[in-house]
Order: sequence, then C-alpha cells, then structure tokens
Amino acid sequence: MKERISSPVRRVDAYEKAGGYARYIADIPFDHLLYGKLVRTSIQRGRITGIALPDLPEGYRFISEGDIPPGGVNQINMITSDWPVFTTGEVRFCGQTIGLLVGPDRQVLHELHKAVAVTYDIEEGSSTIEEGLACRGGAFVGEDNIYVEHRLKKGDPDAAFSQADRIIEDVIETGFQEHVYMEPQGITVEYSNGQLVFHASCQCPFYIRKAVAPSVAMNLEDIIVHQVTTGGAFGGKEHFPDIIASALAVAAVAIQQPIQVVFERREDISYTPKRHPSQIIFRTALDRNNRIIAMDVDARINAGAYQSCSAVVLQRTMFSANSVYDLPNVSIRGRAVATNTVPSDAFRGFGAPQGIFAAEMHMSHVARLVGEEESEFKRRCFLKQGGRTVTNGTIHEQVLLEQMWQDISLESGYYEKLKSNPSGSFRGIGVSYYLHGGGFTGNGEQALIDSHVRLKGMKDGRVELLLSTVEMGQGLATTYRKIVASALGIDISRTIFLDPSTNRVPDSGPTVASRSIMVVGRLLQRAALQLKTCWDGTREETVEIGYEHPPWVEWNQETLQGDAYPAYSWGICVTEVEVDRASFEVETKGVWTIHEVGRAIDEQIVHGQVNGGVIQALGYASLEKLELKEGRFYQNTLADYMIPTSLDFPPVYSKLVENPYEYGPFGAKGLGELVFDGAAASFAAAVQHAIGRPVGRIPVTPEYIMELMSDE
Amino acid sequence: MVDVYHPKTLEEALQFRSSTGAVPFSGGTDIMVRYRTSHGVLPDLPWPIVLLGHLKELQYLRLRKGSLCIGAETTLTDVMDHELTPPLLKQAIGLMAAPALRNLGTLAGNIGNASPAGDAVCALIALDASIELASPRGRRVVSLDLFIVGPGRTILAEDELITEIIVPIGEGHISWYKKVGTRRANALSKLSVSADWAVDDNVLTHVRIALGAVAPVVLRCRDIEDDMTGMKLPEIALQREDLMNRYKCSITPIDDQRSSAAYRKQAASNLVGAVLDEMTGGR
Ligand SMILES: Cc1cc2nc3c(=O)[nH]c(=O)nc-3n(C[C@H](O)[C@H](O)[C@H](O)COP(=O)(O)OP(=O)(O)OC[C@H]3O[C@@H](n4cnc5c(N)ncnc54)[C@H](O)[C@@H]3O)c2cc1C
Repeated sequence: MKERISSPVRRVDAYEKAGGYARYIADIPFDHLLYGKLVRTSIQRGRITGIALPDLPEGYRFISEGDIPPGGVNQINMITSDWPVFTTGEVRFCGQTIGLLVGPDRQVLHELHKAVAVTYDIEEGSSTIEEGLACRGGAFVGEDNIYVEHRLKKGDPDAAFSQADRIIEDVIETGFQEHVYMEPQGITVEYSNGQLVFHASCQCPFYIRKAVAPSVAMNLEDIIVHQVTTGGAFGGKEHFPDIIASALAVAAVAIQQPIQVVFERREDISYTPKRHPSQIIFRTALDRNNRIIAMDVDARINAGAYQSCSAVVLQRTMFSANSVYDLPNVSIRGRAVATNTVPSDAFRGFGAPQGIFAAEMHMSHVARLVGEEESEFKRRCFLKQGGRTVTNGTIHEQVLLEQMWQDISLESGYYEKLKSNPSGSFRGIGVSYYLHGGGFTGNGEQALIDSHVRLKGMKDGRVELLLSTVEMGQGLATTYRKIVASALGIDISRTIFLDPSTNRVPDSGPTVASRSIMVVGRLLQRAALQLKTCWDGTREETVEIGYEHPPWVEWNQETLQGDAYPAYSWGICVTEVEVDRASFEVETKGVWTIHEVGRAIDEQIVHGQVNGGVIQALGYASLEKLELKEGRFYQNTLADYMIPTSLDFPPVYSKLVENPYEYGPFGAKGLGELVFDGAAASFAAAVQHAIGRPVGRIPVTPEYIMELMSDE
Repeated sequence: MVDVYHPKTLEEALQFRSSTGAVPFSGGTDIMVRYRTSHGVLPDLPWPIVLLGHLKELQYLRLRKGSLCIGAETTLTDVMDHELTPPLLKQAIGLMAAPALRNLGTLAGNIGNASPAGDAVCALIALDASIELASPRGRRVVSLDLFIVGPGRTILAEDELITEIIVPIGEGHISWYKKVGTRRANALSKLSVSADWAVDDNVLTHVRIALGAVAPVVLRCRDIEDDMTGMKLPEIALQREDLMNRYKCSITPIDDQRSSAAYRKQAASNLVGAVLDEMTGGR
C-alpha cells in the first residue's frame, strides 16, 4: 500500500531535541577556546570622541577597526554594505559594535568590559517613523532619511477618486517584535592554515561567508561556515549572524585561536534586530452603493539605523497591502524610513504581516462605517483565479477562500456568535483572510539565488542530501528526507541529512521566504527522480540540479510589475474574545484556522507550524509591547517582554485544504510565514467588536483598550 | 567574589549575620536574578550572603493561639499546598511565577524584597499578618504593613532575620483576589487587589483592602476601611462610586515598563468596585 505523503512520520530530530542530547553552539567544546564580548555604543546618536581601555592582562585583546587586515574593508557585505564591522566615529544607534574584547576567562572579560570607558558627542536622534520622516536631529541617510521608496499603481485611482461618493481615511500601526528564538545568537570561529571556519547558529550559511569575506580580504573558498544545531531563528538569524561573524573574522585572523561569542538573553533582546514597526495610511473611495472603487495606501516602515534587508521587506509590505482583495483602482506608496534604532530585519512574514494587518483592519473599519457585516463586505472583494494583484500580476491558481470560509465559519459558529454578542457586549468574534506568496519576491529566485541541490547515492543503498537550507526547529530535516525517500521509493531511514557546511554542499539559498519546501523541496524531488533513473543502490552516483523558474511567471524588477510570486498560500483565522469590564484584560475563548498550502508534506509538522505561527501572532497582537526609551528597548528581559505561555491562548483549531501546486514538491506551497500573517488582525477585530470601537494598532494591550473606552 | 555562609542552625545564621553583615539569601529567586551577569560569570553580588533556604527549623506551618504561624523559609509551594493556608494566600501564591520558582522562593524572600508588586505580601497585608524578627538580641513581632516602608526598604535591623509569618485566622471571613499580570502565567503584577472582610447581620464588621503595585508600598487605606467598618451593606452599595473614587485618589502609581499610571489608577478603582459588588451582592 502506498503511504500518503502527508501522513505524519516521527520527526528525525525528535529524540535528540526532546531528550536534551542535541548540542548547541555553547555546548560544543573547542581546544584553547577564547571568548569574545562585544563593546557597544551606549548612546542613540552622535560621535565617539574617545575610547579608554583598562590595562589588558596578558592574553587579552581589544579588536577594533585597526585590526582589519591589509586589503580588508570596514564593511559588512549584506544586501548593501552600509553597516560597518566596527564603529569608528559616527554612532547611529545604541548597541553598535565598537570592538571585541577577547580572552580566555569570562570572569576577567566581564570585569574588563565594565572598565571600558567610551566618550561621545551626543546628538539628537530619532526613534519613530514620524521622527525619522521629520529628520529629527538632521537626516543621516540621503536628504530625507528614506532608504528606498516605491510606487505601485493598478487601474486609474485618480479618476476613481474624483468620482467617489465618500472617502474614508484611516491610520493603522504595528509595533516592534522581538524574535525570542529559544537559543540566543552564538558563533564560534577557528582560524588555521589560512582558512576561517565558522560554527554558527544560523539560517543562511552562505550569507555569512559572503558577508565577512571583504572585511578580512579572503577568498570565499577559504571561508567555511558550518551550521550547528540551531534553536529557533524566525528570521532573526538570517542577517544578524553576519554582524557577529564579521567582528569574529577580524579577531580570528589577528589572534589565530578559536573564539566564541554567545549572547546572553538581555543582550540579545537589547541589541539584535526586530520586526519593522509600520504605519500605513489609507484613503478609500466608495461609490454610492458603498462599493470600494479605489484605495490609496501610504506604507511606511521603520527600518532603523542601517538598511540591511529593509528594501525587500518594504516590497512585501506593499504587495500585501490589499491582503486577499481584488480592488479595481489602487495606488500604493512605500517608504523605508531611517531612524536611530537597531536596524529592523527579517522576521517570519517579512513585511507581509504589517501589510495584511493594516489591510484587514482597514477593510473592517470601512465595513463598520458603512454598516455592513465585515465578513460579507470583505468576501465580495476576494481575489479569484485570473484576478489581478496590486503589481498587475495574475492569480494563476484556483482560489478556495470561499469554500474555506463556508467550512470555518460553521466550525467556529461565527454567525451565531456574531448575533448573540452584539458590538459592545464585551464579547466579540473577528475574522481575517490572508495570503502569502511563496519564495523570493519577483525574480529573486532566478536572479539572486539560483539555488542548487545535490543528491549522492551511495554503495550501501543510502542517499545523502546535500544542500544549504537548514533545520532550525521547523522540521525541515524530516520533510526533506521524506520528499527524497518518497520520490525514490525508499525508506526514510536510508536518507541522510547533515547540518550543512559551505565546503560540502551546493548553495540552495537561505532558509527564508517560505521557500524551503516549495522551491528547494521541489529541486530535491526533481533530483531524486533523476537519481532514480541512473542509480541502483549498489554504487556511487551523484546528481546535481538547479532552479528553473515556472515559465508562465512574468516579472519586471525595475517597475515591480507582474507576478510578484508564482503561487500563494491562503488562510482564514477566526478569533473569539471576552474583554474584562474592570481590568480590560482580554481572554481569548477560541481560535479557528483553515489553511491552503497546496499539499502538506507532513501534516503533523504543518499543524505544528500553524500552532506556533498563530500563537506567535497572537502574542504580537496582544502582549508583545516593546517600547523605546532614549533609543534603548525598555522591555529588555523575558520578565518584561511578554511572549505567550500555554495559558494565554486556548488550543488552536487547525484544518487544511488541499490544492496541489504543479511546481511544488508533491504539490506543496509555502507555509512557515503564512501561518503568522493573519491571526493578529482577527484578534484585533474580535476586540473591536467586543468593545464597539475601532482598533487601529497592535499590540492591543489592556492599557490601549482603556484608552479606547475612555474616548466617549 | 563574595563570602557565602552556610549555617547549620538559625542560631549560627544569626551569628554570621550580626558578625559579618551578610545579607539573607533564601530561595535566591530575587537576588540571583537581580545580580546575574552572563554565561560563565559569577553574579555581581555586592555583599557577603548567608544562606537560609535549607534551614528545616524555619520550615513549618502550625496553628498557635488562633493564628497560623508559617516558618519564614517555607517554600511558596509548601505554603500554597498546605490545608491550613487561607484561600486568599493560596490564590495569590498560585498566580506567582511558575512551579519551579515556587519550589525555591519563600515568603521571607517575598517580604524581604519589599516590592510594591510582591503578590504574597499583598495577600498577607489584607490578612493582617505580622512577622517575627529575630536577632542575637532577641525577638520582636511587627505588623507586616509597617515593616515595608518603601520600594526595597524595610525596618529590618542589620542583625535581624525574618523568622516567622503570623496570620490571624479570620473565622467566617470572606476574601477576594485579583492579579492583573503582564500575562496569564509566570508574570509580574501590573497591579493586584486582595480583600478580606466579615459581615454580621448585614453590617460590615471587618475589612481590609490591599492594593499591590499602585504606590511605593503595598497600600491599605486605613481611613476608608475605618469609614466602611460598621456600615450596612446597602449603604456601601450606595456609596460605591464615591468609595471607588476615594481609592483612586489615594493611590500614586507610576509609569513603568509593565504598565502606565493612568491604567493602574483606572483598573485599581474598577477592581475596588468589583470588591464592593462582591461584598454587597451588587451588579
Ligand atoms: C521569573 C520570576 C517570576 C516571578 N514572579 C513573581 C510573582 O509573580 N510575584 C511576586 O511577588 N514575585 C515574583 N518573583 C519574585 C520572587 O520570586 C519572589 O519575590 C520570591 O518570593 C522571593 O523569594 P526568595 O526566597 O527566592 O528570595 P531571595 O531572593 O532569597 O531574597 C529576596 C530578598 O529578601 C531578603 N530576605 C530573604 N530571606 C530573608 C529573611 N529570612 N529575613 C530577611 N530578609 C530576607 C533578601 O535579602 C532579599 O533582599 C518572580 C521572580 C522571577 C525570577
């Protein structure tokens, strides 16, 4: 009997991780290991005027810009190269690397670190989007503090606005979010025989190699990055490991001994990137039947003090700014704003959660204002197969949203609950609809990544998977092995997947963008089918294949026009809440979700992602307040930065519908980010219904609800 | 590096403390967190410490002359699980931190920490608890309400230790507890309200309302309590808004990383309203 690909198998890493046998970077011993501690800026903006070091005992070094080897540059080679390895003069944010103290004894390092005295000329800095746009303290990026600006246009919004019967304006805002991966950032570096070897908790081994090369003027081949067991990442280990690795590279070349940097939790919360805060302003034109005829969107994201990947995040925000709706006339302006905060960076959803939250809340505000039931109002605008996206691309697949809604509205009792709990009754139910495009935006998979995977059939009948996308807790080791085993028709126990090293595996790209299964899994499937034709399990045979773009996808990266993504995954989330009349605390009574991800490679892993993603989004929506005070994060411990516990939300109902995608392995599409995208809006909509007042920002804390309730 | 004393008896502990000035260390769940540094580095303790958490002679719950006497080193878990413990205290401890921490933390530590957000302290003050302090000079008993004088400040003398918590058994008392935490579990209080009262023939004969995290210390408004005592319940119901307002005016909360002063004021007054409703059967 043939097993369905979706039937769960035991996760290949379950035993070692649940049992505590897995070794993370801080657990792996090295001979003659030195420790590194970053010396950082302590002001938000200004200039360094002096650095006074204590007397360093023998064996201790302070590594800074002057230690960059001949030919090396003081730059980290990310998407742009604006972020220096070591700050010399200009301080753009609190927590920038000045240097690295290195030595054998952490107690001594701790004392030395406390004794470093840095003096500054302090300048006025900016923290918020408004302050950034107003160039508080003077612009520090271009003339206007804008890293990138894009505009999109669909239809003829100007004409439509001139015919509007009514125009509704709205501002929707989202805050910072900290990743809280279970394992903080950590890397160990070794240097010998002219080679740098990194052991890193990371998502993208090849990014690290590329990022550090210019600072130490080394060839890519002489830099080797091993990914080690990684305790969660959520996007936080996409680029930030580059920052640590660059400083470590310079130190390792100078000292020629293994050096380890492992962050402490408070350090990790204080100084590593966060999700981009957003402020999205809508103007929506209605005709006299209250139908939307045009929408104007002005999306601003807080990119922080260096650019990192903000340009790409901004595109996702813009492309998601109409959520699942096909509106006739749309204009979207997007700006990534420079501020003096820790550079914002990748975080599960990569800009989409902000766009979706804003669009969903705005649509529900419009529905309330015109006196229509939200779900009815939204459903009338659903994208359909053949429909047009905001980049004037086409929805190629069948869209099952309507059928999914029939299912989940019944399961959640949406309509009855709506009726029995009128608006303002302190009980409420809310819904959000959402989508996520799988893979890199536009032609990124082709132009930027061009991923390759290799399969090595061995004499003993086993097959090794060689690729650079990583297991970081999300279950990839299991799903990859399952794909290859199924395609070859062998048992999963005959497949091997080891944590990748850049010197052993081809570059299958970074572990990001919901691409690992849809794009890279597909490569594995193709490679396995090819191996099957030429390998009989008794001799060695290697197959390597590369990415092929679906032929019908058209995209222009200059104009951002066409199919921004080849395929989308879809979801609906319904949330029911009760608001306490005295304390304004929100109790979540139920959460119901339904997702269409093509086909699940492993149902248990998919449901795990749904649970984790939805709870993470509910935390973002309600608890995870992260404020800045003089450029520092105010909630910088896990006692103050609140992520949900198992008591904060009820179990999540999770259902899947199938809609196989031709270019995904066994029909699979993207999943990891989709499941984060929608829950925040459904929660906020439920609270809004419960208190009978529009909610315009997250987190929806009891303090914010009190504010809304007192606006009588 | 600091000196750490590990006494075998309370007597030895008192000697260490008076001769070295060592700071009492019970479960360490406040101290170790406050002075933690980073991986592989000792906590930055500024003074010598004397360990107390292991002293069996200070771990007990027993009845004495109409009061429940709790050894100061009894863990929060043991206090919570004991049949003699009043429901109000059980409720408050049940919402403190998480099981692992309650297995280490003690009542002495929660009191000694003197935080206005100390949850057990809030319940104990509503229960009219006093504490016994011991030193080589002898023993004294003080009302808990008067022991804590500011955030992190108490009247504990240089040579004293908290040895016992004394909770009068209020026969027939009714109690009410609400913690507004930063989340549902393992959370610190944004504010909390503990109330304990008694009613005889429709007349309020005893009332204590303690408010946590809304002033520099856990707060009782004795004047309001005095005014309410002896009032008929319907009269209290009539004065609901007025009483809520008096509480609102008496508290002096702050903005901090967990909440805002405005919210604390509003929510505390609403929760006092909830206490009054429970008392009078209103709403
Ligand atoms: C994750 C976490 C969650 C927490 N959640 C809560 C919560 O929900 N509610 C809450 O109220 N607290 C909470 N706390 C704080 C702490 O756990 C409690 O205050 C606990 O009761 C402290 O007890 P301890 O024995 O560990 O104190 P210790 O750390 O040993 O001591 C605390 C203070 O009391 C003094 N002290 C200790 N014993 C004596 C004694 N015998 N005589 C005189 N002084 C003494 C010490 O010198 C010190 O100043 C939390 C802490 C953490 C880390």
